[in-house]
Amino acid sequence: MKLVKFKAILVLFIAAILLLAGCSSSSSGDKTSDGKVKLRFATWDVGDDVSLQQDMIDKFNEANENIEVVLEAYGSEYDTKITAGMGAKDAPDIMYMWNYPQYKDALEPLDSYIEKEGAEYKDNFYETLWNYNSADGQILGLPVGYTTHVVYYNKAIFDEAGVDYPKSGWTWEDLQETAKKISNKDSKVSGFAFSGKPDPYDFEMFLWGNNTSYVDKDGNLNGNLNSKQSVEVFEMFQNMAKDGSAIPTEGSGSQEMKSGKVAMFVYGAWGLTPLKEAGIDYGVVELPSFKGGKSVSILSSSGVSISKNSEHKEEAFEFLKFWTNEEANKERIGFELPVLKSVVESEQLEQDPVKSVFYSMLEKSDGYTPASFIVEDWSKVSENLTQTFESIFNPSTLQNPKEALDSAVE
Amino acid sequence: MQNISKKRTSYQLINKKVPYLFILPWIIGFLVFTLGPLIFSLIMSFFNWPITSEPTFVGIENYKTMFTQDPQFYKSIIITFKFAAIFVPLNLAIALILALLITQPLKGMKFFRTIFYLPAVVSGVAISIIWGWIFNSEYGILNYILSLIGVEGPMWLVDPKWAIFTIVIASAWGVGIMMLIFYTNIKGIPTELYEAAAIDGAGPLRQFFSITIPSITPTILFNVITSVIGALQQLALVLLLTGGGPLKSTYFYGLYVYNNAFKHHQLGYASANAWFMFIVVLLLTMVIFKTSSTWVFYENEVKKEGKKGRRKK
Repeated sequence: MKLVKFKAILVLFIAAILLLAGCSSSSSGDKTSDGKVKLRFATWDVGDDVSLQQDMIDKFNEANENIEVVLEAYGSEYDTKITAGMGAKDAPDIMYMWNYPQYKDALEPLDSYIEKEGAEYKDNFYETLWNYNSADGQILGLPVGYTTHVVYYNKAIFDEAGVDYPKSGWTWEDLQETAKKISNKDSKVSGFAFSGKPDPYDFEMFLWGNNTSYVDKDGNLNGNLNSKQSVEVFEMFQNMAKDGSAIPTEGSGSQEMKSGKVAMFVYGAWGLTPLKEAGIDYGVVELPSFKGGKSVSILSSSGVSISKNSEHKEEAFEFLKFWTNEEANKERIGFELPVLKSVVESEQLEQDPVKSVFYSMLEKSDGYTPASFIVEDWSKVSENLTQTFESIFNPSTLQNPKEALDSAVE
Repeated sequence: MQNISKKRTSYQLINKKVPYLFILPWIIGFLVFTLGPLIFSLIMSFFNWPITSEPTFVGIENYKTMFTQDPQFYKSIIITFKFAAIFVPLNLAIALILALLITQPLKGMKFFRTIFYLPAVVSGVAISIIWGWIFNSEYGILNYILSLIGVEGPMWLVDPKWAIFTIVIASAWGVGIMMLIFYTNIKGIPTELYEAAAIDGAGPLRQFFSITIPSITPTILFNVITSVIGALQQLALVLLLTGGGPLKSTYFYGLYVYNNAFKHHQLGYASANAWFMFIVVLLLTMVIFKTSSTWVFYENEVKKEGKKGRRKK
């Protein structure tokens, strides 16, 4: 009897495994019943952005009789899901992508595809964006959107304090002075807010501005992360927190900015709509520069990539082209800065008082390579850096920057 | 005669199969989604699997690295056990007190019962967001309330000393299910016992320790085990509320495993981590079960004795 039971369970187990295997093989790269090539397309967007994307995909499917693109919206679980998909050899054919170094082995290099489209096609994208959509010298994605970082300022607070709005070409000293003038303990207004546990990826731009970076070309932290210029940057931020002219925030600072109690903070284009919706009358200005340094920003960019395991790469590239063409850039203009020079020109974004700032920052930020593209195991390094930076800015520790960075290098 | 007995056995056989047929969906679900992945992860714990490329067999290398070269492994274990040590007794005490309160025959008790249970229905994500607002040291409502009574609240989510308590508080908020289990058990205690005790002159405190507590020991055992397991596997809250910070003070073991798998793409290593915790939980549960014979008192024991007593009368 016991044996029978065991056999029954074994049979069930095998049946279950077969069932699973059946599921996974049918979902990838197959043709639909009417002979169309089916492409799965994964996006990280949520809410209204997804419905806009679905509308665009519907247009593509109508225009291309032999291809059917299916949108899969993974939302905040995006990385977990595509990671699991790659592990199961069942990744979507087309994926939104930003962290190229980490996923490079699972992505199809696109250089040969792009070459076929001609030099003019490639040149219409901003050059800097190609660097951010590559890894190990190969292009792995077509640029979809980007943002540089700028300083947002709350006009109402500036008016009340009787201080002039900041102008491009300003320095960090100017910012500190302004912040000091505006900060007011009684009304709980802070002149400047910065993240108390900054994402190391973003924070590197301040080091670039002071002519240094986390690592050298070979990925060595020592002598770079703990260089004199680097320590200066950390000291400057720490001092602002110490003298009360700035507050280190728990998040990015956007929450504090929305509350109307913060005069300035550094953020990407993500803040444009939410801050407006929160009723903040804001202006944006280029990042300040260090003495003897430059105003330079890191890019947070997104692109679309093709899975190495996709069975229909040609069709997938057709879709990539559609997704990054002029029309698509214009469709997305409400929530994504266009990446094509022709669109920026036709939409006159260079004349826009807000959006033009992001483009001038983009032009100033060419030629820098983030450490995440150089260091082999960036996710581990990044985790350690996060902790180090936190220990410098956390009000309950406020560790000496020089010591903290020296020990981080080890 | 023989015929009849044969019929009976075949009938019995069908009878025995039918229940299995009914639970077949669960069996399939268990095999496909629980046992299958479990075995798969055990196999994977002996591989180096950077997910975007092929896995390679490394033997016990993952376990060796874990025990000898990864300081974060030990740190995370200590933090997790510290959390469990604070959380489990506190959670049990709160659940028991609430359960006692809602068994009182007072007006509007149904309302309070619902209120106390409500957090258990809210999803972990929503809980994290709500507590994130409450604990915010600049604008959070908790520190505002504390300031009204003249207390300067700590920087809950910023100060490494306090962060673990924020997780304890936020976790304890979901005490409703445990409270409900206690509640149904306490409700089931025969009132004669209390009446008899009252006649014998036992006060409420004595009644609680001599009647209520011994009657609900099986439930206490169940709640201890589930909350120990729950505490050791706590992930959602730290993932969403603190992200392991500040300064890794809430970098629980669950988060450590999760990050190794999905952030650092070391799936084999993460599987080894997960199996270690599985064995720890297994051993801990066994130890609790072993000790339970000395302090858990089952109802059928009570009943037998009760019947004997009546006969003597």
